[in-house]
Order: sequence, then C-alpha cells, then structure tokens
Amino acid sequence: MLVVRRRAGEAIIVAGDIEIEIIEISRTRVKLGVTAPREVTVTRREAAAIALENRTAAALVSSATLEADLLGISSKVSGKMAKSASDAADM
Amino acid sequence: MSSVSAGLSVVKTPHLGEISWEAGSELFLPSGLPGFENERHMIPVEIPAHRPLVFLQSTERSGVCFVSLPVMTICPDFKLHLTEDERASLMLQDTCDPEIGADVLCLALLFPSGGTVEANLDAPIVINLHNSRCLQALSPDAERGYYKLSDAGIWENLC
Repeated sequence: MLVVRRRAGEAIIVAGDIEIEIIEISRTRVKLGVTAPREVTVTRREAAAIALENRTAAALVSSATLEADLLGISSKVSGKMAKSASDAADM
Repeated sequence: MSSVSAGLSVVKTPHLGEISWEAGSELFLPSGLPGFENERHMIPVEIPAHRPLVFLQSTERSGVCFVSLPVMTICPDFKLHLTEDERASLMLQDTCDPEIGADVLCLALLFPSGGTVEANLDAPIVINLHNSRCLQALSPDAERGYYKLSDAGIWENLC
C-alpha cells in the first residue's frame, strides 16, 4: 500500500486523470473531493458490498415462483404482526 | 421505459404488470442505489395481497424491481442513523432527527437466502416524505445487522 501524507488543499493524482483532493480535515473525519472521468465509478467501500447484495435483492422478484414466494413471505410477516397486535391487546 | 398518457406515467413491467402513477410523484434517487447507480426514479408499489411488502419499481428499466418491508415490521425498535452527507442528499434539516413515519419512510430490501429471505437493516432505503428524495443509507456506525425470516414468520437477528 502506498502511504502519502497530505494537508488540506493538497491532492494526489491516480492514473493521470483522477484527482483526489483533501478538502477538509476535522478531528475524526477527512473530506475528500474526487475528480474523475465520467466512466470511472467512485464509491465508498461499504457501498461496494451493498451493491452485490442489491443485485441479489433484485433477483428476488424475478424468481420463477414469485407469486407463491411473496405470498408466503407477506402472509408470514402479516400473520406475525396480527399475532403481536393480538398479544398486545390481551395484555 | 415509461410513457405518459393523460397526466399519468405508465410502465409495463415483467413482474408487476402495468403500473401507472401521477407524473412527478415518483421517488428521486440522486445517486441511484449501490449496484444500480443509473436508476434515479422509482415508484413504490403496494399490492393488497402482498401487504406489508412494498415493491420499488424502477421507471427507467422495467426489469428492475426490489421487494422491501418497512423496517419497523422487522425490528420495532429500529433507530435510523444518517451521515451528514446522507442528510444533505435527502435535504433534511440539520436541527433534529427525522421521525420515521412522519418525516421519512425506512424500507429494508429483501434478498433470497436458502428458501427464505434476509434483510440488512444496516442499509435501509430512506425516503424523505416531504420531497420524495430517496437513498440507501450506509452509515458505517450502524450495527443492527442482518435478519432472516424463519418458517414461523419471526425475524431472527443473525449477528
């Protein structure tokens, strides 16, 4: 890993045309500004893992057994909610 | 791709059939969703037989549709954490925390997992009810984790 020390207002260049500037440094956070060509995707690391999860999520609705699956899920959830409401009413 | 007719926008979807809505009433996602960065407009769809599920249907790609649940149906004591950037993107006021149900709607996307579904409550979809701006919150401080729906209809926290 390349480690570079920079101050606010300074920047680094990646691959010739991607600029990462240190905009602001506070006690616990650093604000970065990224200037990159439109075709370059810039994401936070946590977003990369969620992207994979979201692609899986989008596949749920295209399941061949969509109707049965979703009715099953909604009946499970709504059944549990109805039971919880009933339990609360009994208390 | 949606079309507009008599003030109503219409999209034919492979999963939910034809959906129509008042033009301009769709959700606006300034950055899309992770993995779907180009999906900037979505329609929340409720189907009576599938309540409390909420479908998030893209207006730009008819094949893109997510299944979600209000987070409170999974975790009744859910607390929303938003970063400064997320608050700014939703155009929420800095002065107070948004109230779920009054200011924002929080949905958990469901994804298939071994014959049932899971939900990640660390990455809820947050909709500002005052302006329809929407994003997926990815607060690195959140630690609610993953929930799995059991056969008995109970959401079990996996971590």
